[in-house]
Amino acid sequence: MDYSELSKLMVKIRDNRDQIAFSQLFDFLAPKINGYYLQNGLIKDNAEELTQEVMSTIWSKSELYDATKASISTWVFTIARNKKVDFFRKNATKSLNEEDVREFLYEENNKNSVNESEIKDQVNRINKELNKEQRKIIKMNFFENKSHKKIAEELEIPLGTVKSRIRHILTKMQRLL
Amino acid sequence: MNGTVTRNQLIFDYAAGKLGPSKSIFTSAYLYLNSKASELNQTFESMLGDDLINNENVPTSNLKFTDCLKSNDYKEKASKNVDPITKLLGPLSDIKWKQIYKGFSEFNPKINDEDELKLIKMEPGASIPIHSHGGKEYILVLDGSFCDEYGKYSKGDIQINDQQIKHTPIACQDEGCVCLSITEKDAIFFGRFGSFLNLFTFIKSFFK
Repeated sequence: MDYSELSKLMVKIRDNRDQIAFSQLFDFLAPKINGYYLQNGLIKDNAEELTQEVMSTIWSKSELYDATKASISTWVFTIARNKKVDFFRKNATKSLNEEDVREFLYEENNKNSVNESEIKDQVNRINKELNKEQRKIIKMNFFENKSHKKIAEELEIPLGTVKSRIRHILTKMQRLL
Repeated sequence: MNGTVTRNQLIFDYAAGKLGPSKSIFTSAYLYLNSKASELNQTFESMLGDDLINNENVPTSNLKFTDCLKSNDYKEKASKNVDPITKLLGPLSDIKWKQIYKGFSEFNPKINDEDELKLIKMEPGASIPIHSHGGKEYILVLDGSFCDEYGKYSKGDIQINDQQIKHTPIACQDEGCVCLSITEKDAIFFGRFGSFLNLFTFIKSFFK
């Protein structure tokens, strides 16, 4: 399913509370979100529980979806990520309600936010600049949350090389903005 | 100096959901005040969103969409148009500051985290004696501005200092400044002279 199809389903869910559209979106997204949690070290039961929470949020807070602010993939990723952060901190004493702050950033941060098409242009530029291996390192480090050491083992390259490549990518991305 | 890399790393770790509570709050405030940083965060979230959609590593599960239709986690949204720090700690004017010495006060919201988050207030012209850092120190200007040997820092700017940097921050004459700071834990010394070095670190901490 491509971005425009996903976005159309989401608009049907938001504007018409369309359950069939939601079931199609669910079939596509739920396994990917579940996979994300498993890759981030959650056990099967917890991964499924969080996936269900993410999909419930998509359904119940669909009015927050705004394609001009963030594409559907970005919106869903931020919901999934925030639930992951909360899950890992559940046992820590929460003196401040941080989830509220992150939600707030998404909802209220209009004055700073750049529109979605500009962001996509930037992502395309960055993806063009980065070679396949650099992009893979980014994905392993940030999406799958793997340590530098683990990345070095899996790609069979020295630890120092992983570190210097990540530094290089971070510097390069700064230049492209 | 590798300030840019450290700053980008902070934003990327925030986007990926890898930061502890203190750094996460610090970065929220930074993104709110600094449009360049916010843009970088959006770009990175967008890349991670692409990774999510293209994730092929998907095992089967027993999830059903009908279980997600009856959700009760909907909350009314709280007050609007308040920045993240005000939302967490209340208005800056109501903070109960603790004066450390003349012209320099702190407020510690006591977050359970290995990094220490503090609010710092410097009266106009106040300075901090020359010092360096055990772990890294991150400073975000929330209001006003300060100067040191490396330049002037205004609302929305951050400065990241590591062990090698010695500096003498001075608040601007006309407005003073309020900053949010994060200090990573000082190194703890072990071995024969450990206790002596730890005492030194303890004494040094008064001058931070």
